[in-house]
Amino acid sequence: MKQTIRVTINGRLYQEEVEPRILLAHFLRETIGLTGTHVGCVIGECGACSILLDGKVVKSCLHFAVQADGHELTTIEGLAKDGELNPVQEAFVKNYAFQCGYCTPGMIMTSQALLQRNPNPTEEEIRKSLAGNLCMCTGYVQIVDAVKEAAKGMKNG
Amino acid sequence: MIRFDYQEPTTLKKAFGLMEKHGEDARVIAGGTSLIIMLRQRLLMPKVVISLGRIPKLERITYKAKDGLRIGAGARHRDIELSPAVKTHYPLLHETFRKVAQPRIRNMGTVGGNLAAGDPLTDPGASLIALDADVTLTSSKGKRTVPLDEFFIDYYETALAPAELLTEIHVPPSQRPGWSHIKFTPRSIEDFATVGVALTLKANNGVCEDIRIGLNAVASTIVHARKAEEVLRGKPITDAALQELGEVASTECDPTDDNRGSAEYKREMVKVLVRRAAKEALQRAG
Repeated sequence: MKQTIRVTINGRLYQEEVEPRILLAHFLRETIGLTGTHVGCVIGECGACSILLDGKVVKSCLHFAVQADGHELTTIEGLAKDGELNPVQEAFVKNYAFQCGYCTPGMIMTSQALLQRNPNPTEEEIRKSLAGNLCMCTGYVQIVDAVKEAAKGMKNG
Repeated sequence: MIRFDYQEPTTLKKAFGLMEKHGEDARVIAGGTSLIIMLRQRLLMPKVVISLGRIPKLERITYKAKDGLRIGAGARHRDIELSPAVKTHYPLLHETFRKVAQPRIRNMGTVGGNLAAGDPLTDPGASLIALDADVTLTSSKGKRTVPLDEFFIDYYETALAPAELLTEIHVPPSQRPGWSHIKFTPRSIEDFATVGVALTLKANNGVCEDIRIGLNAVASTIVHARKAEEVLRGKPITDAALQELGEVASTECDPTDDNRGSAEYKREMVKVLVRRAAKEALQRAG
């Protein structure tokens, strides 16, 4: 039986009917049409579906859409403002921090959450924070470089 | 994903009512990090999923000097990790919760869900046992308190009765100032432990006055290594005594071969890591 939920996604309120078994990741992609959140393993291993829920980074494949009723979500689509990339996105582009790009939305959302909480992370903190995000192209060095640069940019800006 | 009916009771009383009504057909969801995987793998196929997410005050963490720490079952791993009271008064717990999986999972999974799942691979139970924790189990008939080392029965099996919920974890004021937590993860940092050791120790002039050891990922339940504790309690902490401590702890384990290591390897690592943990705890005990 479908249930009505109200969620704020990237600042906009949506009211939708969903079946309880629909995962938040699938709800974002298929019901709302925000396909920037990627679906990889769907068992909480790969981190491609990472989003922010009430400002905290979570895996949207380990969450039912109905559980998000009344909550605020931010997806990769919510980071750029007025056509301008946010500092983390900018730093990923500058550092060539993606190859196939599949893991990128999850990497950026995780980095965003880290930098919001800790604007001056050490390399170890960056690596520990990204530990649950897998890049099958193995381009981790550039990703860590990008997060370092984003941190610098945020401090100076 | 299987089809199910989803219920969100707003009080514990309503939750018990639903659990009693649906019995074996119902499963409870809190953070969801464990249940959703089991649903996807069809290890569980409930007709009704009862969410505890709308029950207020279930996530509270409170500390009083005389009573100790009380953690609501709905507290997320991350909340415990970042709690100032935990960091100040229970550094072992802070250290443990910091190491559970990675931040995304810690932001979602609850400590009540973790313990009630009865998964011997996970970290919190061992450290809570090392800190003498007990758990409150609540049903429509009332509350009972169970020491955590009597709560774990077997793989995914606990002392919880049908229609009963783990509602609170109580950690008494810390009795032993020395502590150590070793999560041995040879593959990657967010993995389950190959062997996990949590140890608390009180020493006076090189003599062990008291010690308590919890081990995870080494048996069908989280282990309270009572026999090993007896080896050291009341005795001088010598290299030979520490050697014996590790060896006896190893006999209390019954690990299995898996992709984190062979049973033999894990038994050897218990010897090494328990010894190492005791040394570290002794340094911290001052």
